[in-house]
Amino acid sequence: MNKPSGEPSKTVQGPVGSFASDAFTDDPDEDFRLVALAQKGDLTAYDALVTRHRGRIFAMIRNMIHQEAEAWDLSQEVFIKAWHALPKFEAKARFSTWLYRITHNAVYDWVRKRKIESVGELNDEIFERERIDSGSFTTPSGGESPDDLMANGELRVKIQVALNKLSPEHREVVLLKDVQGLSYKEIAEAMSSTLGTVMSRLFYARQKLQTLLKDEYHSR
Amino acid sequence: MNTIPDEAKLALWLDDELEGDDLATFEAWVSSQPQHLVAREEVRQWRALMASAVPASEEPPYPDFFNSRIAQAIREPAPKIPAAAVRRPFWKTLLMPVTACAGMVLAFWVGAKSQKATPEYIVEGAPRAIPVEPLVYTPENGVEAEWFSSDVSSMVIVLNGVRAIPDAMDFSASTYVPNEREFDSTAENRSTSPANLNP
Repeated sequence: MNKPSGEPSKTVQGPVGSFASDAFTDDPDEDFRLVALAQKGDLTAYDALVTRHRGRIFAMIRNMIHQEAEAWDLSQEVFIKAWHALPKFEAKARFSTWLYRITHNAVYDWVRKRKIESVGELNDEIFERERIDSGSFTTPSGGESPDDLMANGELRVKIQVALNKLSPEHREVVLLKDVQGLSYKEIAEAMSSTLGTVMSRLFYARQKLQTLLKDEYHSR
Repeated sequence: MNTIPDEAKLALWLDDELEGDDLATFEAWVSSQPQHLVAREEVRQWRALMASAVPASEEPPYPDFFNSRIAQAIREPAPKIPAAAVRRPFWKTLLMPVTACAGMVLAFWVGAKSQKATPEYIVEGAPRAIPVEPLVYTPENGVEAEWFSSDVSSMVIVLNGVRAIPDAMDFSASTYVPNEREFDSTAENRSTSPANLNP
């Protein structure tokens, strides 16, 4: 990740830049309008689309690979690939679902490349199960009290650790369903899978997570 | 409704994704199934727990720089498509495997030919090898050796006149046995081993 030098790493949650990142994300009509403009070559419209969706794509990738710098680069790659594939986008699915599909492919390509590169090396941290990014959040967004913030921060770390113990496919399905809020059908599209496979994966993934988080889950 | 619905519908209902007539039918059936109502409540609680603990969106560091890099990458000319990726005509697609097969047959034929006649490389000024019959050395008088060679790779030597070895012959007398000092030096030293130190 080639950041501008001299500045400390900062991660911002919430609206930043000219567009509020998440405020309009769930408005598919606005997405389709911007997509139509971007398909005609309007870079400003595409920039607006990037701003609307970058937060979710970055969070998704970061939760999958647990490396902030790599997630930053990979998120950009997703948007660059999406731009080049934009003429093929037919608006049959939501733009966000289409982006998740590109994200899925980008993450698995990255993992494949890393596996090839790390053959014979001891330092194989791909999908490392106990690893938590040193810069990971401990405070989720929202207007909670300090006590709630601390409790939720601790809970997030515990959930992250538990998520890392799942297989990549199980982790992805939980993140898409329970964190990103996609429907079964959308997840099947994003993961190029069948509805039955998604249902089965989600069932087992939740079961395993609930076992791992037994104390937390039952105390609430 | 007494029939049990399929599992796919149950999964959709548990995650609040069932709609319309399916939902109404399902709700009518599930009203007499308290365990499913409890299960749905648990799924709802689980989703709320996950959503409260793991944010669905996180702004990437340096968001404006993030966008500008994407814009820069988009403005750069797209990489040229290599010639191989260009769609070739139908007849060329058909011709490719035929050409490949013909090439393989030709390669086999050339290979077989070259094995039969070993190529001889003549280097100016270098002595040329002259094929000679091998001379088989026999240490004992009266022993004759005959050799047969069908081709380059196999040869048989027959010794005629070798005396039979008597049963009483002691091979140990003619065999070299190393003395104790010549044993492997890395072996355990008997004189200093704990077993020898103790009386």
